[in-house]
Amino acid sequence: MVSLKIPHPGHFAALQEIIAVKEAEGLDAVDEVFMGGSPDVMGSGRGVLHAPLLDEIREQTEYAHEHGIKMNLTMNATCTGGHHLSFEGFKMFSWYFKELNKAGVDAVTVADPYLVDMLRDYPMQAVVSCLAYVESPQRARFFDELGADMITVDTNINRHFDLLEGIVNAVNCRVRLIVNEGCLYRCPFRYSHYNLASHLSSLNQPRAPLWAPDYYFDKCISLRLRDPVQIVKSAWIRPEDLAEYEAIGITDFKLSGRTKTVNWIIDCMRYYAHRAFDGNVLDILDCPQMLRYLLYLDNKKLSGSISHWKSCKKICNECGYCERLTKEALTILK
Amino acid sequence: MTETITEGRTKLESELRNMVGNVFVPEAKVFGMACGCTGFAADLRGLQVDAVEVFREKITTLLEEISASVEVKPEFIYARKLPGSEEVVILTTRQLCERCRREFAGSKAPPRPDIIVLKKKR
Repeated sequence: MVSLKIPHPGHFAALQEIIAVKEAEGLDAVDEVFMGGSPDVMGSGRGVLHAPLLDEIREQTEYAHEHGIKMNLTMNATCTGGHHLSFEGFKMFSWYFKELNKAGVDAVTVADPYLVDMLRDYPMQAVVSCLAYVESPQRARFFDELGADMITVDTNINRHFDLLEGIVNAVNCRVRLIVNEGCLYRCPFRYSHYNLASHLSSLNQPRAPLWAPDYYFDKCISLRLRDPVQIVKSAWIRPEDLAEYEAIGITDFKLSGRTKTVNWIIDCMRYYAHRAFDGNVLDILDCPQMLRYLLYLDNKKLSGSISHWKSCKKICNECGYCERLTKEALTILK
Repeated sequence: MTETITEGRTKLESELRNMVGNVFVPEAKVFGMACGCTGFAADLRGLQVDAVEVFREKITTLLEEISASVEVKPEFIYARKLPGSEEVVILTTRQLCERCRREFAGSKAPPRPDIIVLKKKR
């Protein structure tokens, strides 16, 4: 059975509303929510709009459990400045993991191998973040042997079925995909941008005010505006195409978007639970959301594209498929 | 219009100072968004969440007045706090487009954890 992991912005009212819709509409595939932890302990790959204290995490986890939903705390900063490897850092993470475990949290998502190693001491699931950049059976095997219960693979290989199949066959743990991340394929900013986000969402801030606050984001948006084919090349997965991944043994799917609004999250949850969406693909992508006001990528016109992408060698200058598809499916809104 | 915006900024700062003490409004603006929303927004320093809660009605009324003066229907009024803190950094009134009426202002819960909803037109 397919399992959907839903982003939770962090405030209790949002959790209640997400679960209410899931139950009222019988969205049975939804079995987990995830939210950011406290920036006091660690930053995160996304902005943190809420800093839940342990009592709140406990209260929300209890509520989720009453409704048959698991709670996942996302602590996937890609850089802590080495703090976690200091004695102080070790003590802090040990204390925090122990408290999360006492609060009933089911899983913790981390990017750093050291934290995966530490999580072996707790019954909570160790989930490897997509920010560990697992993009090969070799690296997947490493995290599997380190003690991971679940690996979220690098979204860059979402359309590399040979690698995905290889990873599924190489590991004993489960494999998870993020379905609606719209980052540039093989993004040149990816490592730098997530390092920046990790610092900005933590107490470990840059020492001086930023002069070019989010160079990577601004550049990313501009690149796509000049070359909208990049939007089609991104590794998002249409709701209708989940079955293709089930066929190779992947049944865990995560929606991205914990910094987005409650109703947007609920809409995406519906589309992926029903595996059907009639509209602008940019409306269901976590990022770059602002482009949905300018560009319309018709999901219906992308039907069948997965058949090409499954076997595509990704040598774009020799192929041209995504360029042709962009001409057919993408329009500029007036 | 430019004078009205400036007057709105001054009025907001002055009234907030009367209510809670030393508040600074460095910038106020009328904006139009790509989605179709329009609005009035005031950047703030010195205002905290508990003050917004205590003076919720007065602040809401004040924002409604200023918003009307710059020709923005205040359908959705909210404060945004700095994530992870109690500092309120922006007060906004918004005349909503159809999409945002549902997606941004349509949930029972605040749309995001950093947003405190002061008024929602039903």
